[in-house]
Amino acid sequence: MRVITYLEAVREAMQQEMRQNDDVYILGEDIGLYGGAFGVTRGMIEEFGPERVRNTPISESGIAGAAVGSALTGMRPILELQFSDFITIATDQMVNQAAKLRYMYGGKGNVPMVLRTPSGSGTGAAAQHSQSLEAWMTHIPGLKVIQPSTAYDAKGLLKAAIDDANPVVFYEHKLLYGTKSEVPEDLYSIPIGVADVKREGTDITIVATAVMVHKSLEAAKELEKEGISVEVVDPRTLVPLDEETIVKSVAKTGHLVVVHEAVKRGGYGGEIASMIAESEAFDYLDAPIKRLGGVAAPIPYNPELEKLAVPQVPDIIKAVKETLNKA
Amino acid sequence: MAKEIFMPKLSSTMEVGTLLQWLKEEGDPVQVGDPLFEIMTDKINIEVESYEEGVLLKKYYEVDDEVPINTIIGYIGEAGETVPDEPPASEGEEVQEEVDSPKAEKTTMEQEQEELEEVEGQVGKVRATPAARRVARENDLSLETISGSGPKGRIHEQDVLDAVKENAVLITPLAEKMAKDHQLDVRKIEGTGIRGKIEKSDVERYLSSQKVREEEPAERVKLKGLRKAVADKMLESARSIPHVTLTTEVDMTKVIDIRKNLLPIVENETGYRLSFTEIIIKSTAHTLTKHRNINASLIDNEIVYNKAVNIGLAVAVDNGLIVPSIHDADKKGLAELTAVSKTLGKKARDSKLTPAEMTGSTFTISNLGMYAIDGFTPIINPPETAILGVGRITEKPVVVDGNITVRPMMVLSLSFDHRAIDGAPAAAFLTELKETLENPYSLFV
Repeated sequence: MRVITYLEAVREAMQQEMRQNDDVYILGEDIGLYGGAFGVTRGMIEEFGPERVRNTPISESGIAGAAVGSALTGMRPILELQFSDFITIATDQMVNQAAKLRYMYGGKGNVPMVLRTPSGSGTGAAAQHSQSLEAWMTHIPGLKVIQPSTAYDAKGLLKAAIDDANPVVFYEHKLLYGTKSEVPEDLYSIPIGVADVKREGTDITIVATAVMVHKSLEAAKELEKEGISVEVVDPRTLVPLDEETIVKSVAKTGHLVVVHEAVKRGGYGGEIASMIAESEAFDYLDAPIKRLGGVAAPIPYNPELEKLAVPQVPDIIKAVKETLNKA
Repeated sequence: MAKEIFMPKLSSTMEVGTLLQWLKEEGDPVQVGDPLFEIMTDKINIEVESYEEGVLLKKYYEVDDEVPINTIIGYIGEAGETVPDEPPASEGEEVQEEVDSPKAEKTTMEQEQEELEEVEGQVGKVRATPAARRVARENDLSLETISGSGPKGRIHEQDVLDAVKENAVLITPLAEKMAKDHQLDVRKIEGTGIRGKIEKSDVERYLSSQKVREEEPAERVKLKGLRKAVADKMLESARSIPHVTLTTEVDMTKVIDIRKNLLPIVENETGYRLSFTEIIIKSTAHTLTKHRNINASLIDNEIVYNKAVNIGLAVAVDNGLIVPSIHDADKKGLAELTAVSKTLGKKARDSKLTPAEMTGSTFTISNLGMYAIDGFTPIINPPETAILGVGRITEKPVVVDGNITVRPMMVLSLSFDHRAIDGAPAAAFLTELKETLENPYSLFV
């Protein structure tokens, strides 16, 4: 099958959908000729014109508000925030408008919009452009939250997000834009709320999100050499969460390590760990659940320190061994 | 969390209780209100009931132990919960020790160290993962017996699985089935097969040795129903009535003769065989008509001299004793008495007596003559004031007219209530009864 990058997969999903659905349009800062901060929308203004690829002023609140309003009137906007850190400015529109309106209108109106935004560290962009703030959005009823880790997942999940009648926050990871995988040429949809077992194993389950999926897979490859069989589960969507797949995996392996890049304190890993503690899998746990997350500090500009601030492959290997009493 | 069972303080003067018996064994399920054990205090014996529901986890004291009040004598909790091996000191004692201890000052370091140890070695807590606990539960293993391989001795699933394997007994399928059928603990059976495998012959050997070695535990049956009624009545009688028992020996030669002659006649008329019992009933009733003071009842501080002579006949039934009443026995002939007593006996054994048939007796006869019993001291059937015990008829050498001769002799035992009857009238009655039986023709007078 054809192999394309994560970035191309995101763009292709938008292009293919826009070709078949006139209600879909995109908006954001510098997404026109410049092609967006990371070049995701490059070439789109040439194909779809400035009516459907709308450059906006530098106002995340304005972008989000425009998207909410047009979604209410029947459009399907996809807005881009240059960095997910700036969701702080769009938050009022997302939390108090987008997430609420369908409920407050008793279902008579809905907000079918997608907020796409790159998150995460690793690019030397320092503290204000490197955060992983997805846990905030998972706390808000009315928002769906997606974190694809591969090009294949990105295309299929973005299509599902566009089709969804609810506001969806779609986190892309900066370090993943260049990663490649096999992606079908035709448009396809991956159901929201279905986790993916990225690697099967029997000794321990790692639940990882976004770039940590890849780091966990790398760790799993190393651990396999020592006879440790690691299962890597990628939830893909945080809200709704595919609890069943995770519970099943943990019940099988009896050990759980949760890995995400976001700061561990208050991170979504706590949600996954608690969910397991409350679940059928509890009785199968043969060690305390371990969470790996970012240190509770702003992401440093120094590239060495930046790496230290978030879990790396050796950290994951160590956590797995500790959990299995093999440290 | 396991709950303590305390020695209760049942009276203001009670300081210790003596354990009389445990009514539950370790491992038995316990409901709230179930009797747990019986104790004796300075005043009473009493069964102590459970306030908790769960499983009796631990018994710290044995029967006959004297246990101070408020001492922990056991624990109730969930199966598999761990409790201390030794009874923890009661709170009172601890306080005492602290006050007494001169080394009350401890360095902060020491205290911290102790606190740390306390947390780590929390009494009765085993460090084990949920999975280890699940596997232990599934295999009926106690986590206490398993050593943990994890940090701080944490027990992991594999530790439990290893213990299960270690505990596994090599046994042939046939031997296993036999052991199961006999509810044997296979771990107690010594195997003689390869690597100690238990075979059929091992189980058989174990079974036969068990038969010799182990006595079956005593069966315990709660006093209830008829047994309870009999027990209460006997206790009341024995405790409240001053019994005196007189005995005399009766020459039964003529009674035997009469019975032999009347047997076919009575059988022809009633279909029942005349027995000595009926002749004794007849003679007793007849004699009682002349000794009204013996045919008396003691009711509420009144001696009631009964007009009717109603003879109660003690009948042994399953698990008890019933006394149907033969009303107006003095007015009935031997044929009628035979029919009535046989019918009442059968009804008593079949539990079909009517209340009227079970009440109203004024004097009771208890006949153990069918056994090798010579004489006994019967207990009065209140509110009656006397009872006649009848022994067997046996041939004995007796002196008649200066010569030793063999005669069929029978002992009569008369117990009477000395509150209502004195020795002389009782003796007079028994003497006349003896004479009546020795000269039964007087019955026709």
